Amino acid sequence: MRKLALALPCLLAVACGGDFSNDDLEFQNALPQREDLAAKLPDSARSGQGLGTRGQRLGASQVLGGTSQLALQAYQAGTQFNTSVDGLLSLLELFRNAPPTTRETDRRIWGPFPADEHPGHELRFVMNRQGDSFAYLLQYRPQGGGEGAWWTYLPGTFKADGGIRKGTGTLALDLKEARKNGFDTKEATALDRLDIDYQTLALPTNVELLFTGAGATTPLTRYASRQTPQGLGEMAFRLPGVDFVPGGLMETLDILARWTPDGRGVLVLNILEGDAKGAQYTECWDARTRITFMQRNWDFLNPTEGSRATCPDVSALDPQP
Amino acid sequence: MSDGPEKQVRARLAPVAAWARAMASAMRASIPALILASTAAHADTLHRFALIAGNDTGGSDTRPLSYARDDARKMHDLLTRLGGVAPADAKLLLDDDAKDFLVALSELEQRARAAQARGERTALFVYYSGHAKDGALRLGASQLAFDALKRRLADAPVDIRIAILDSCRSGALTRTKGARKAPAFDVESGAARDARGVVILTSSAADEDSQESDALGGSYFSHHLASGLLGDADRSGDGRVTLFEAYSHAYARTVADTADSSAGPQHPTFSYDLAGNGDLVLTDLRTSAEGLVVPGNAPAGAYYFVDPGGMVVAELDKAADTERRVALAPGTYRVKRRLSDRLRIGEVEVARGRTTILQEPRFKDAPFSDDPVKGAMLDKGAWWTFGLTGGFQSFFDAQTRQSLFLSVPLFGAEAELHDYFRRDWVWGFDAAVGGTNGALALPTLEGPAYRYSVVNVGTSLTAEWPVGRVAPFVGVRVAYLIMGRKFDDGAFPDQRFAMVSPGLATGARFQLTRRLNLTARTRLQYLQYTVDAQRSLGFWELAALLTYQP
Repeated sequence: MRKLALALPCLLAVACGGDFSNDDLEFQNALPQREDLAAKLPDSARSGQGLGTRGQRLGASQVLGGTSQLALQAYQAGTQFNTSVDGLLSLLELFRNAPPTTRETDRRIWGPFPADEHPGHELRFVMNRQGDSFAYLLQYRPQGGGEGAWWTYLPGTFKADGGIRKGTGTLALDLKEARKNGFDTKEATALDRLDIDYQTLALPTNVELLFTGAGATTPLTRYASRQTPQGLGEMAFRLPGVDFVPGGLMETLDILARWTPDGRGVLVLNILEGDAKGAQYTECWDARTRITFMQRNWDFLNPTEGSRATCPDVSALDPQP
Repeated sequence: MSDGPEKQVRARLAPVAAWARAMASAMRASIPALILASTAAHADTLHRFALIAGNDTGGSDTRPLSYARDDARKMHDLLTRLGGVAPADAKLLLDDDAKDFLVALSELEQRARAAQARGERTALFVYYSGHAKDGALRLGASQLAFDALKRRLADAPVDIRIAILDSCRSGALTRTKGARKAPAFDVESGAARDARGVVILTSSAADEDSQESDALGGSYFSHHLASGLLGDADRSGDGRVTLFEAYSHAYARTVADTADSSAGPQHPTFSYDLAGNGDLVLTDLRTSAEGLVVPGNAPAGAYYFVDPGGMVVAELDKAADTERRVALAPGTYRVKRRLSDRLRIGEVEVARGRTTILQEPRFKDAPFSDDPVKGAMLDKGAWWTFGLTGGFQSFFDAQTRQSLFLSVPLFGAEAELHDYFRRDWVWGFDAAVGGTNGALALPTLEGPAYRYSVVNVGTSLTAEWPVGRVAPFVGVRVAYLIMGRKFDDGAFPDQRFAMVSPGLATGARFQLTRRLNLTARTRLQYLQYTVDAQRSLGFWELAALLTYQP
């Protein structure tokens, strides 16, 4: 029994330590989750029914009672939006629930770990804190490289406001830097950079995706998503180079689509450039994505079809005074 | 088991010699006392006071005793239960020093003086079990000169003073009270003879050792004195044990038990001067409704009453066709009769407030190997208790207990090994769990709800200082703590921290019943937190522990 008494403390001493850390939780809280950034789509959109092709001509299928191709287009944009968000957030999953490898005051480091998807490279994730502001970097380097060999693939920031992932943040994917360091960016070769700006501080929360094309200095495409706790969703995006109206010019479309959780929605389309520059088209649809109301600002004879009362109330998404 | 009982049979005639020796001593001291020795005792009219002291230690030049405090406890229980001493008039000192002894004596003298002022007759009993050497009682590191004690007793403002000194000698190979051979103090000469109205009993004569017995769980002398006071010494059968009866009984049994010991026979001494007070009833077996009666038709011979712990608490030498009473405290006892070729063993339950009749025919024959006392002796030395505990744990640092390691109630189980390393040391093993709900409140993160839990296992070593039914203790403890928290929001990972934590423990154990104890305890522990930063933390635990001794 005396030997046991001596051995026991030794065994216990070996089993000391752990990850019980308040600071770790604060660092982890600075990383966005999918539900913070993903667009909330109605069930009918998630089921993927009848997703149309991009750039259908106005008037070709806009018939009262017919399927709203623009609604399907908005849902498709939302799905692509979420796919992009998922692809970016998946890079953070490795570190989300894992204890850091190194803990320093206001700094956490995970790794270096071997980069399985990029043989010959290793990766690390570094987070720094300054007050309530956090900055993080997903970095790679060739295996065996020194401290100066690290390059950043995914930078991000978060300014916390005290609640659970409440705050404002940014997140980016530097595809140009990745290609420069020998990574194959596959289907994203046309892009140099993907940026996400988001705020979860006040309702409605909003997320903005900016796609910067290869060689471009300003973002090419912008997708913005907003949502309310009640399930109202909004997708705003700009589509350049679409032959939307018959004529010789390509149109640049500015689309704002809003929907309810049960799938009803309203969409406002503005033609910014092209054959019908300045034209605005408004369309409402029901839970089965059938058009219930249409309004064309250029049609003086028959500006509306259907009843405006069929449009859902999505005013909660309007900017608050 | 001690072979004392067999010696007792051989020494059956010894009390006669002891009595004669006592009478001779008494005659030297006071002839009038001898004349009055046969007169009726005056127990009923006496206001009795008792100072009972036991001390296992006697300074650096002595070896610690094992049972001096136990002997004192037994005597305190006996005198307050059967000896006519009100609990308020009895003082029990365990491991206290000479100064405490004299202070307690002064307090009793003061009470006795007040009683005398009210016209009451008074008696003062002083019992001491412990070391004595070079003419002084050794109370721990302090000393109390025997002459000074005798003078103090002689001057005490009481009518009768009785001192019983179960004190030690040394040098023998067996367990003896003392560290080295030294001249014994001789109570039959010098100041003792000059102390009128003083009775002094000692456990051994000059140059003799006083010996302890593991089988008896006490000293031979105190055991036989106590057993006699419980009824074995009531030769007259009148239900009262007088001073002379008790002494002669203790003398005979002590001599018999120690005759063949390596320390040599031990002869109790007796100095007597009651100055006209006659013999004195020490215990009245009729005052307590409960007890055991051995009917006249029960076989004659020696009976031994063994408590559940395996200790012989009383003996009885019964004559044929004579009813005898033993004033056992309520409880269950095994009763043993020793025949030439076998044992007769039975069990008896002494109920509170009732007289129990011993049914010897219900006893069963058993071989000597089944001796209940023998088994107890083998088990003696260490004993277990098992218990359940409830308590509360909290860190001293406010920020820590609000946002890191929360204050929690704890519930657990404990086992305690007593007297394993040394007497009155307790080796404890404990395990407890606790938990509570919390919500994070951090500078950049508020709100996530979680369940906080603690698992706490430890081992402790404490030293107890029993005083009556209360045993204060202090000691050290090493614990292994596992703290964890699980968040309702799956986005936050479960967290865990484990660490060894040294600390101190203190409190007191209260004996509720013979087998049940209630302990109130405080622990102060140190915890090194190592995750976010190296931080030295402290926490406390308050707990109540209910233990059972199988």
